Amino acid sequence: MAADKLKSDFPTADTIAAVATPSGRGGVGVIRVSGPDVTAIAEQIIGGLPPVRKAVYKNFLDKTEIIVDQGLAIFFKAPNSFTGEDVLELQGHGGPVVMDMLLTTVLDAGARQARPGEFSERAFLNDKIDLSQAEAIADLIDSSSQHAARGAMRSLQGEFSNIVKELDNSVVELRMYVEAAIDFPEEEIDFLSDDNLVKKLQETKSVFVRLIQQTKEGALLREGVTLVLAGKPNAGKSSLMNQLSGRQSSIVTAIEGTTRDLVNEHIQIDGIPLNLIDTAGLRAAADEVEEEGVRRALAAVESAEGVLLLIDLAMGDWRQQTLSMLAELPKLESTKVIVVLNKKDLVSAEDDNSGDFPYPLVRISAKNGEGIDELRISIKNTFGMGISEEGVFIARTRHLEALLTAQAHLLDGILQLQENLAGDLLAEELRLCHQKLCEITGEFSSDDLLGEIFSSFCIGK
Amino acid sequence: MDYPSKFDVIVVGGGHAGTEAALASARAGAATLLVTQSIETLGQMSCNPAIGGIGKSHLVKEIDALGGVMAQAADMAGIHFRVLNSRKGPAVRATRAQSDRQLYRQAIRRFIENQENLQLFQQSVDDLIVEGDQVRGVVTSGGVCFRAASVVLTVGTFLGGIIHVGMQKQPGGRAGDAPSNRLSERLREMPFTVDRLKTGTPPRIDGRTVNYKGLEAQPGDDPRPVMSYLGSRQDHPEQVNCFITHTSAQTHEIIRNGLDRSPLFTGEIDGVGPRYCPSIEDKVVRFADKDSHQIFIEPEGLNSYELYPNGISTSLPFDVQIELVRSIKGFENADITRPGYAIEYDYFEPRDLKSSLETRFIEGLYFAGQINGTTGYEEAAAQGLLAGINAARRSKDLESWCPGRNEAYIGVLVDDLITMGTKEPYRMFTSRAEYRLVLRQDNADRRLTPAGRELGIVNDQRWQRFTEKSELIDKRKDFLNSQWVQPGDDIESYLGQSLNHEYSLSELLRRPKVSVESLLTAVAIDWPDSEVNEQIEIDLKYEGYIKRQLEEVEKINGQHGVIIPESFDYALVGGLSNEVQQKLTTIRPETIGQASRISGVTPAAISLLLIYLKKNSQLRSRQTG
Ligand SMILES: Cc1cc2nc3c(=O)[nH]c(=O)nc-3n(C[C@H](O)[C@H](O)[C@H](O)COP(=O)(O)OP(=O)(O)OC[C@H]3O[C@@H](n4cnc5c(N)ncnc54)[C@H](O)[C@@H]3O)c2cc1C
Ligand SMILES: Nc1nc2c(ncn2[C@@H]2O[C@H](COP(=O)(O)OP(=O)(O)OP(=O)(O)O)[C@@H](O)[C@H]2O)c(=O)[nH]1
Ligand SMILES: [Mg+2]
Repeated sequence: MAADKLKSDFPTADTIAAVATPSGRGGVGVIRVSGPDVTAIAEQIIGGLPPVRKAVYKNFLDKTEIIVDQGLAIFFKAPNSFTGEDVLELQGHGGPVVMDMLLTTVLDAGARQARPGEFSERAFLNDKIDLSQAEAIADLIDSSSQHAARGAMRSLQGEFSNIVKELDNSVVELRMYVEAAIDFPEEEIDFLSDDNLVKKLQETKSVFVRLIQQTKEGALLREGVTLVLAGKPNAGKSSLMNQLSGRQSSIVTAIEGTTRDLVNEHIQIDGIPLNLIDTAGLRAAADEVEEEGVRRALAAVESAEGVLLLIDLAMGDWRQQTLSMLAELPKLESTKVIVVLNKKDLVSAEDDNSGDFPYPLVRISAKNGEGIDELRISIKNTFGMGISEEGVFIARTRHLEALLTAQAHLLDGILQLQENLAGDLLAEELRLCHQKLCEITGEFSSDDLLGEIFSSFCIGK
Repeated sequence: MDYPSKFDVIVVGGGHAGTEAALASARAGAATLLVTQSIETLGQMSCNPAIGGIGKSHLVKEIDALGGVMAQAADMAGIHFRVLNSRKGPAVRATRAQSDRQLYRQAIRRFIENQENLQLFQQSVDDLIVEGDQVRGVVTSGGVCFRAASVVLTVGTFLGGIIHVGMQKQPGGRAGDAPSNRLSERLREMPFTVDRLKTGTPPRIDGRTVNYKGLEAQPGDDPRPVMSYLGSRQDHPEQVNCFITHTSAQTHEIIRNGLDRSPLFTGEIDGVGPRYCPSIEDKVVRFADKDSHQIFIEPEGLNSYELYPNGISTSLPFDVQIELVRSIKGFENADITRPGYAIEYDYFEPRDLKSSLETRFIEGLYFAGQINGTTGYEEAAAQGLLAGINAARRSKDLESWCPGRNEAYIGVLVDDLITMGTKEPYRMFTSRAEYRLVLRQDNADRRLTPAGRELGIVNDQRWQRFTEKSELIDKRKDFLNSQWVQPGDDIESYLGQSLNHEYSLSELLRRPKVSVESLLTAVAIDWPDSEVNEQIEIDLKYEGYIKRQLEEVEKINGQHGVIIPESFDYALVGGLSNEVQQKLTTIRPETIGQASRISGVTPAAISLLLIYLKKNSQLRSRQTG
């Protein structure tokens, strides 16, 4: 009997894929695929499995046989691989856009996007990693999943989130009609044979098409690490913003309180996409407008992944200044801070006694550009690596994959209704469609659905 | 006094849960005693006289596939059969049998009295014998001590039952029966979490005072469906019609005027009622813009004039009930034979149960039926069957059994209860089953009868019927695979579809608009046993979808089958948030699969758990999670 069969080995699950090189690095990028479907995926993308542990040069093809990239493919056979499962590595050209496309292709071919730390987890569960490493792997999963959760949260702000929510509501409504027709056939409602259902399905389809198009174009999602420039008025935040972006995007004057609203700029440092936000200088505000500006500045700091804290060296003891600024800022538990000591051109070179300071420290002159390269390196070291396996495109790729699959289920569902009048199959496709959307919007149980039905329709005998 | 002989299993309560529990336990070979308040009320339907319905007939067929008796009794008592959702796809198709109450009770009693290993005793149970954390038996109101290693409690709505009609309330287990207050008090002293639920029933009508003229008659379906895999139309008694009528604007006015004496709206009742089965006063208040509600008029039996007006469950005062009934078309001069009422009763937090339905606090004590927060005869019977099986297995030191969510609605029911708990009376719906396309009423035997045979609860007769049917299905499928038709064959005109190349018959049957009957007629094959043919058609048409669902099962089963040790300390797993840790500690999932279904438990939390189990070499798994 089923329950009696106890197995001690760890069973193979589904196939996962992810970009295995830290994103943003130039040169090559590696996509790692692990699990039982590796053979089938290799078949589709490179026309078959290469010989074990031999790098072969291949075209990487997508479903429509279009070449996405070219590079080396290496196959590791289970159990002699990093994860202990069949593993395929595809080395492509490394740029974030190409890697993104290649990953999408692999997902299309049947893999699922790996969760943070999942390769290490499998390796561990398959005895490929020493038991003593358990804590380390647990920590990795813990921290990287928190990181990813923050990334997903951030990507869910603004326009994208609005449209996804709209879409989610439509799908819930569709399911509500269809499931009510199935589970309550004796009520005076039969939505399955109602023209409105088809209309609603078509409308939802067009929202999908629009959203996917915009997501593909990257129009809706804010990508990359968000860095906020914060500090006292006249510390040089706007000057630094302009230095880093190479454009005069923020107004710079000698007047305190020049910047009043948030100013956004999208930049890249060695391929790592960054959202820079210039903010109003922090002080007791002089008027209502500035007060609002300060409030926004603090809110930006709170939701940022990183803060560049600007200190004016000309204003005296930088340690003193830094500590009092840190005390003023909202709690920065998970936010990384780089302290930027500005206007070094105005002070005589002091000896570098900053070794014991608990934050990375960079001295610059935002005016003449001195130290900016060092700052770039510091930013890269602080924010480029932490993202490791996940990659910065992660949220978008994940969302896009979810949307595409959800859309495909919706289309199949429409077909089932129109061709076969099959209510149960339409319901199944809508369930799968919704399940995919929930990967973006969050949990939704069958009980939640029943709740929607009971509060919308008068049901019950 | 101590009863002279000892039992393996004692079942308390002879309702739908209790009778299936006692029968399953006895079938599994355990010396079983069924103690119930009254032998006359064995298998009594407390509320509407019908077995089956959406989601529910799925359960009935599963019980049947495992050797239970509910389906057979429904065939013997059914006076009006219908197939629901006949055009919405086989997965959601369901059967309902309007049943003659008396015939139903008789059928159940006959099964009980003819079951080997099963003894009956009529008396109320007042107390459980518990030593340490082990149950040892029960004590009846007459002071008799019965001893057994396992006890299954199935006392329905009787624990601390209070019946409300208007502002009058009185203790009762259901109309006409005494509540179980002693037992309720004793159970409240034990470490269970107890809460209150509520349900209700409509007034019954004297059929002789109803004017049927102008009411829409609803005949049973033709061809008439059969409930049991062993049943046939010959089992069915005489068939009768149901009728449909509606409430009027006047009815709603009468109800609104009576709300100041409604126990529901004046706060007399705190128990939570089912949202999908609201009282008529609830419907009128919540959906104020509807000026009419549908009522199904269902006969209570062949030898009774009583009618069950399905749709006007109420606890309004009796004078309002008469007035509201008489405002309904056809009921202008109707008399009420029994008033409608609401009942409040104790139920136990089902998250304190294991998947075997054994309680986590007292070993050998099993809970099944309404006391676990469910409602419905079928839901009760399904749990009873499972608890009976497991109580019997425990007496033989065998591991417990529970089907997975991908194997049976019974699995969905139990997993939902022990994982999510419930805040309102839990009823089965097909939308609760994520593997709905696999869990159909037509294939419950193929899903469960082999397991039932291994469990020792499926008798030879059923097993033989099952194997014959399976062989026939295979044989006919082989035939359809091996027969080919060519473009230009007569079949084109039969099917009204033209062929562009050679096809096998099974390929044709996969086409959406080709039914098995039309195909068989076209090729002039006369195969009896339409059930078998239908099964073949569904298998072929749904192949793709079924395969996908099975793959989904395959994918998750690996990790989901990993067992979490019973006394696992979640505080030891670093990285779990307090909230997750607390949820896992209260719900105590048995497997990683169950843990992952708890709301708020993230994939990362599951990974952390797995890593911890691996590190401590506790990674063991079973097949269904
Ligand atoms: C008023 C009312 C309205 C309902 N409405 C609906 C509805 O609309 N829809 C629906 O699906 N279901 C409804 N139900 C529920 C349905 O009746 C139950 O779900 C089902 O009967 C539960 O089965 P059970 O075996 O758990 O308990 P029951 O059928 O209640 O059986 C309990 C049995 O235990 C026995 N018993 C009780 N205490 C003791 C004791 N101390 N010692 C020995 N024997 C004992 C009783 O005599 C009885 O035989 C309603 C029930 C009531 C009472
Ligand atoms: N000498 C010198 N002056 C600088 C440097 N950086 C900024 N300044 C000057 O300091 C003044 C304020 O610079 P901003 O960049 O506007 O300062 P801010 O922090 O954006 O100020 P607010 O927007 O008012 O909060 C301007 O006159 C700049 O030219 C620097 O590195 N050296
Ligand atoms: Mg500025």
